[in-house]
Amino acid sequence: MSSAVRTRAATRPIRRHLDRGDRWIRLAFVAPQVIGVLALGVVPFVAVIWYSLNEWTPLTGSFDFVGIDNYTRLFGDQRFFNSLRSSFLFGVGIVVLNLVLALCLALLLNNRLRGISTFRAFFFSPVVVSIIAWSIVWNFLLAPEGGVNGTLAMFGIDGTGWLTDPATALGSVVVIQVFKGVGMNMVLFLAALQGVPGEIKEAARLDGAGPVRLFFAVTLPMISPTVLLAGILTTIGSLEVFAPIQLLTKGGPADTTLVLPYFLYQTAFQQQEFGYASAIGVVLFIIILGLTMAQWMSRKKWVNDEN
Amino acid sequence: MMRTEYPEPDTETVDTVRVVLPNSAAATRDSVASRRRSRINTWVLYAILVIVSIPFIYPTVWMIFSAFKPTSEIFSQPPTLLPTSWTLDGFAKIFTTQPFLQQYGNSLYIAVIVTAGSLVVSGLAGYAFARMRFPFRNALFVILLASMMVPSEVTIIPIFTAVNAMGLTDTHWPLILMPLLGPSSVVSVFIFRQYFLSLPGELEEAARLDGLGRVGIFTRIAFPLARPAIAAVTILTFLRSFNMYFEPLIFLTTPAKFTVALGITRYQDAYGEPLWTTQLGAASLTVIPILIVFLLAQKQFIEGIAGTGLKG
Amino acid sequence: MPQRPRRVSLLTILAITATSLVGCSTPGAAEDGDVDLTMAIWSANEDHLALFDAIADDYLADHDEVDSITFETITNQDYIAGLTTRMAGGNVPDLAWIPEANAPEFIESGVLADLTDTFTDTEGYDVEDLLPSATALWEKGGDLYAYPFSNSPFALYVNRDILEAAGQPDVGALVGTDDYTWDTIADIAAAVTASTGDTGLVIPSFSPTTWDNLTPLWASWGASPWTEDAASCTFTDPEMTDFLSWFQAQTARGAVSAVTTAAQNPVFATGDVAFSVAQLSASGALDDTFGWDFLPLPAGPKGEQGVIGQAGIGVVAKSAHVDAATDFLAYFTNAANSEKLATYFPPSRESLLNVSTLSAAAPKLSEEQIQSAIIDVVPDAIVKSSSPVYSKVTSLVSSALDPVWSGGDVGDATAAVCAVAQPVLGR
Repeated sequence: MSSAVRTRAATRPIRRHLDRGDRWIRLAFVAPQVIGVLALGVVPFVAVIWYSLNEWTPLTGSFDFVGIDNYTRLFGDQRFFNSLRSSFLFGVGIVVLNLVLALCLALLLNNRLRGISTFRAFFFSPVVVSIIAWSIVWNFLLAPEGGVNGTLAMFGIDGTGWLTDPATALGSVVVIQVFKGVGMNMVLFLAALQGVPGEIKEAARLDGAGPVRLFFAVTLPMISPTVLLAGILTTIGSLEVFAPIQLLTKGGPADTTLVLPYFLYQTAFQQQEFGYASAIGVVLFIIILGLTMAQWMSRKKWVNDEN
Repeated sequence: MMRTEYPEPDTETVDTVRVVLPNSAAATRDSVASRRRSRINTWVLYAILVIVSIPFIYPTVWMIFSAFKPTSEIFSQPPTLLPTSWTLDGFAKIFTTQPFLQQYGNSLYIAVIVTAGSLVVSGLAGYAFARMRFPFRNALFVILLASMMVPSEVTIIPIFTAVNAMGLTDTHWPLILMPLLGPSSVVSVFIFRQYFLSLPGELEEAARLDGLGRVGIFTRIAFPLARPAIAAVTILTFLRSFNMYFEPLIFLTTPAKFTVALGITRYQDAYGEPLWTTQLGAASLTVIPILIVFLLAQKQFIEGIAGTGLKG
Repeated sequence: MPQRPRRVSLLTILAITATSLVGCSTPGAAEDGDVDLTMAIWSANEDHLALFDAIADDYLADHDEVDSITFETITNQDYIAGLTTRMAGGNVPDLAWIPEANAPEFIESGVLADLTDTFTDTEGYDVEDLLPSATALWEKGGDLYAYPFSNSPFALYVNRDILEAAGQPDVGALVGTDDYTWDTIADIAAAVTASTGDTGLVIPSFSPTTWDNLTPLWASWGASPWTEDAASCTFTDPEMTDFLSWFQAQTARGAVSAVTTAAQNPVFATGDVAFSVAQLSASGALDDTFGWDFLPLPAGPKGEQGVIGQAGIGVVAKSAHVDAATDFLAYFTNAANSEKLATYFPPSRESLLNVSTLSAAAPKLSEEQIQSAIIDVVPDAIVKSSSPVYSKVTSLVSSALDPVWSGGDVGDATAAVCAVAQPVLGR
């Protein structure tokens, strides 16, 4: 592995004499990306903060400054708390299930077996299937008369309307989403596992460590930087999920799958309250920022070899 | 580069243990037992792999076969994978209910432009952030990273308003510009930056001595060397752009301008008579080409993803 | 090398900075001279579009001031979201189809233009011919704000083959007798499910997010979601709770198909469903692979109650061409064109509400079926409950009512519905 090379290059001071050229050329390298992100991310976000201080009904065109009214209304809105709860459960469900399953699959695949690459392709294949097609299929499979219940019936189990039962809807969407996306983290973890030097494991084994100990004491710490990054990206991704909710449950039943992005969409585009929806957007950003910061701060506690 | 080459999978067989055992008789005994055990282990492993595979591949396989079923069989009990009678009824309507081919073309050309553009834009930015010193470098990088935390759902309202004001609703402009330059493209910058950080400085110095300028070093030396990063960005950006749903849902109104991901959600008759098999057929046609490319190039796909520089 | 993207992004940032802080923008001002009209519709049916285009072409031939007329399908599963999203940004269609439940919302917020003067002044339009029961919803202060172009009763589709195979009586013979009730239908449906495994009763347009598509059933319980003035929630009234309990019991015993998400409902046209509640137009999807019947809605505890699905066409007040659009609408919906439209959309003109016009619309139906399930029903039929705050209240009701569909306590759920809906309704 070239991580050593990379580390050396990263810490080497940037060579001044290479930078003698026109600084404008150097800025031009980043200009398209930076301007794009400013125009399509930063400026719109500032606008969202401004909108959130207004009551704005686009249908009639009324746009009135109301101060923090949208926020006080938000914190008195039961649906907002339903939505927070759904987003929280959804995020936790996805991140935990995805990371654990990805690790298990990576460990399974990290065996020298004939045909192992076929299984690797199987587990990864939903990643290249569009989430739209994936959701459409699961909508049929999870219908009251669908394939899942039909299969359960063969074992004498009475299935439910998975997507319409408040007890199962959120879990169903989480599982659908995890099967869809777990291949990505699995591949990252597999690459990281294969980067763990054999000698270190060997030494641990000689010290009498069993496979479980070996995993928790040696392997996991060695791949922890990958787990951290995958964790952060999966967390952000899980809080932005929209398509499967729109196609499968539309936020129901009983708001159990009303994740914040869907609540925002409903408020803005179905109920025509752009100002109120903007306040939801600001809160969603703060939550994502907070969670990401928390994970990043926590890295010193459990992530190995941070540099 | 070396980073794409994997060390052999680390095998956890007991063979290695045997070597260090002092007593050769014990070693032989142990090895017979362990070989039997490892054969059992192998079959157990295969069994686990097969069972775990089901939820990953069954939905896709079911989707493809169900496109050939009569509508009444979609919910037949007990459930069937293969159609009892094969029919192409569903397929005919794919092209008449929606301008499917045109939608396919839309998705394809948007994804190609976005992917090619992303390679240039985020390649340049990734290189600069890794290898150059310029004003506000760290501040700009932090802004880029922070923007990744703004979901597109949050900023859709102002962007929607601006796009409207520019008269660009129901055009492909926002669908090209947003994934190409917006916050969702920052991942690509990150991937390129991680890669370029690993580039030996000597290469640049040598190129500089050969008389290459900044742009020359990037286009002639650094970028061509960045094949793993290029592969990863190409795959991720293409999939993200081709499967885009939220933005087309907001910006597009004319079926002829739809992307295929949006189009396949609209296979319903005017009166809500669902065209299930047609929808499944259209979804299959969307998925199959990408699946074929993936299966043919699965090594490159998976190593491309692994080459995102996100590993330790 | 990155020249082009850079220029584009500079433009973008300038444009976004310039516009996004303003809030809302005014729609593009009218260019004088050329008038291009757009009508937002939800039908994507090619036959419908061909008919609309034909009518528009006739109009264009006589009207030089109008350059083109475009029918734009908004295929968003949520039509209202798609339509209002467009209008929100100033991309305003000149005319738009409006679903019944949103009628007061569009009229009271001033989105629609007043049609009265143009209609009365248009020669031969014959405003008197419009059925008062049909136009009531689209009026405010005696003025008409949209034309109810589709006035289509709900009916009960029956798969006779399934009933016969299950040894059940011919339901058609029960019509007009005291036995023709929802309870009878439910009993037969339950018996069918038990004996043949086919689906009993389906309400295809109903899903938890489109909860008010159960109106054709609960109307005969005398139930409604809110009072007629849309000011008070009536979910907790005994009519509604009785109906919901009945519905739950029927779902539980398999008489009514299990509640599903929108795309999962069993389809009558596949021949695996005994009963379906749908409109006239659903007959278009049926052929003679199985024997079927088209009957008026059965009676509930409060007797028979016809229910109509309505849709109106309005002129958007913010349009740059209100006058031209209104003039075209007066042409599009005059008696002659209404008769053409009747092929797909049962008209709200008294002169056209007869067997011969409607037979042309639904050739697969017999004269008796048209008479008993449509013509006799229309005059006293009611429409879905509407509200000036429909967009806001519908998702609140939907989320609070959801527990009912999975067997939750009806009393608790309806109390919860009124708790969240009343503050919005009463505003």
